Amino acid sequence: MRRVVVTGLGAVSPFGAGVKAYWAGLAAGACAIRPLTLFESDGFRCRIAAEVPELTAGSPRRSRADRLALGAALEAIDDAGLADADRAEIALIIGAVGGGMLEAEEWYWARARGEHPAPGAALRAILPGSHAETLGHRLGLGGPRHTVVTACSSGAVALAEAAELIADGVVDVAVAGGVDGMTRLCFMGFNTLKLLDPEPCRPFDKDRRGMSIGEGAGFVVLEAVEGARARGARIYAELAGHGMTTDAFHVTAPEPEGEGMARAMRAALAAAGVTVGAVGYINAHGTATPQNDRIEARAIAQVFGEGRVLVSSTKSMIGHTMAAAGGLEAVATVLTLTQELIPPTATLVTPDPEVTFDCVPRVAREAAVECAISNSFGFGGQNVTLLFRRA
Amino acid sequence: MEAKEVFDELKTILVARLKFDPRRAAEVAETTPLPKGVEGSIGLDSLDFIELSIAIEETFGVVLDESEELTAHFASFETLARFIVSRRGAA
Amino acid sequence: MQDRRAVVITGVGVVNAAMVGASPALGAWLARPRAAACVPVGGRPAARLPEATLAGLIDPAEARRLSRVCQLTIAGARVAVAESGIDPARGLGLVVGSELGDFTSTIAFADGYLARGASGLSALLFPNTVMNTMAATTAIAVASRELSLTLNVPGVAGELAVARGAAAVAGGRVDAVLAGGVDEIDPLVAEMLGALGDQPMRGEGATFLVLEAEATARARNAAVLGRIDGVAWRSLSARPWGVGRRAASRAIDAARARAGGAAPGWVYGSASADTALSAWESRVLRAALGADLPAASLGGLLGQHGGLGALRVAAAAWTARSGLLPDDDGAPATRVSGPGLVHGLARGGGHVALMVGAA
Repeated sequence: MRRVVVTGLGAVSPFGAGVKAYWAGLAAGACAIRPLTLFESDGFRCRIAAEVPELTAGSPRRSRADRLALGAALEAIDDAGLADADRAEIALIIGAVGGGMLEAEEWYWARARGEHPAPGAALRAILPGSHAETLGHRLGLGGPRHTVVTACSSGAVALAEAAELIADGVVDVAVAGGVDGMTRLCFMGFNTLKLLDPEPCRPFDKDRRGMSIGEGAGFVVLEAVEGARARGARIYAELAGHGMTTDAFHVTAPEPEGEGMARAMRAALAAAGVTVGAVGYINAHGTATPQNDRIEARAIAQVFGEGRVLVSSTKSMIGHTMAAAGGLEAVATVLTLTQELIPPTATLVTPDPEVTFDCVPRVAREAAVECAISNSFGFGGQNVTLLFRRA
Repeated sequence: MEAKEVFDELKTILVARLKFDPRRAAEVAETTPLPKGVEGSIGLDSLDFIELSIAIEETFGVVLDESEELTAHFASFETLARFIVSRRGAA
Repeated sequence: MQDRRAVVITGVGVVNAAMVGASPALGAWLARPRAAACVPVGGRPAARLPEATLAGLIDPAEARRLSRVCQLTIAGARVAVAESGIDPARGLGLVVGSELGDFTSTIAFADGYLARGASGLSALLFPNTVMNTMAATTAIAVASRELSLTLNVPGVAGELAVARGAAAVAGGRVDAVLAGGVDEIDPLVAEMLGALGDQPMRGEGATFLVLEAEATARARNAAVLGRIDGVAWRSLSARPWGVGRRAASRAIDAARARAGGAAPGWVYGSASADTALSAWESRVLRAALGADLPAASLGGLLGQHGGLGALRVAAAAWTARSGLLPDDDGAPATRVSGPGLVHGLARGGGHVALMVGAA
């Protein structure tokens, strides 16, 4: 199987458009979780979220989520130096959940008020698979194209899918990422499940009370290493391995021992041929729900032993960006390797004594690590771990 | 509101919110346990309990605070009805 | 490059308006294909499963917590696992393809809010608003703990799920995968699709296949129903939801190459009442295969839905075994031999090819 490397990065995040703005925010330990502005939130316990401040890519005709994806994907392709390349054989794999639901909600709400809005563009764009249709066409990508919907791990699964296509020799280059825009359904739903903190979320904190919701898009360009070297591409890091498991336990609650999470991490290590000692940093799923963080910390301890490895949750800064999380957090994890800086758990005040790791509270930490992993553990027990190695 | 009235409303919630078959809901007794895994219970899991709390707030105006230890109150219809009556009395 | 493993089919589960059961039920229907009964839904005829049929397939206590599309998925998945005799504890992956997911639950969730505000929202419904709900509930029902994927693509969701599952087994990622597709018919969605110009008759249901590495299937003496010898998926150039003009297919060539260069003698294609799309598909097939091969589609009999693409793969295995290709219009079956091609082409250019042969 061929080795897969990252040659391009793209991000649209609650810190703004572009990888530069994204990394600057993460490095500064800034928190982008603020009062919600995109739609009404009266009557809900939590009324804050991490919104993307301004849409800069694509036309206003497109759905919000399409514009987020387009911005990040274009940046990644440009960053990889593929702007003028022949894209007939390039794969496109997208992780998505909400699709164009925000616009579909507006159509449906208008209908409920007795208006007769035309079903047109809003409904075409509603499905999560529609981003791949519009981006694939807009970017001229003719290789394998599909959309994975695995709840909160969708973005990470998309990268794993693309890596497999390259490793198996199906394609040489792939564009992969995750995207989710803010929607009423998601915001109201997590409020209803009482999983949201009315204040900005505090992963791994003793007093954590739940998640914050965010939105955005994180995309990468992946290539077979031989081709990347041959064309003189800048190689950020190697996507050296991944693991994907399922809890098959409950539709919303994670399995309490973290067995599926631990299995995913071990599978990523095995696939990369790497021992636990080589991993210096874990970008945790770290949603700040009492359950996830406790169980994830337990799973990490099972695999890596207590202490030693640095762990942080960037959801403390950009919230849980749903299907985009795996993509945005992969971008952050790659940059920790190249920048030799670990982004902090920005809102951590009192570390939970049950969490036996240094969770890099509040301030970014300089550290050169050999390997770093990114965890994404989706609703319904869909566990994915991506392992990146220094180039 | 008396415990008997509350019990009848809870049976309505079983059908309207928790999607039980009306015949199954009609069969429950005050002593029927609620949580899954208890013999003879109607088998509610964690997600069912969240739905039930929302319904209790809407129907009885009783707000449940997740930080409280409420497990004992949710043991059976009887304990739950008594709990709701006492909270409404206190309000 | 890693040696690719041979992939075989050891179980089939089909649940739709025309049939419910494992490979014998499918075979009996293919021997004498009859159109599923249609009822009007959202102003169009649709091949909808009678409620009593579905109620008979799922235990009421379990059904309480399962949306309709999840019930369809679990019913189909269980039949396939039972036929294969596989023990999921030895490692079973899951790939579910769907075009529309669980819109019924999404609409009901939104309606709750519009009717009664925040307290009208249902916690039970919320997980169903994410399209992985079918896979999440099915993984619990059949104890599948390896990789779990839900694929949402227009038109070819079922074919793609089986192709993706076969690739995972062939590439050594997992020894066994339950792969298939599912969709249900919802009145509002049917109305919206109609307003957007969607043409084929809609159907609903689930079809799942158990795919295994041939070596492990033979080692446990599983009955082998067919082989998947090569799969590929690509995109042909087309506007989103549009029909393209180019006929050169890399997917068919790549699938044939993976199958050792075999030439298919027959085709299950995705042709339907969408005449522009069907014409495009004919040109693509002719360009790749050099002639018009005997072809079946089954879309007019069962209605377009995520399960149909997977059903075509199971049907192809039956055809490879029996030497019979069913006729969509009721004429006698055509006698065929050798391996065949299962072909899916969607508006927007989604393109899937699977080479299927006898055991």
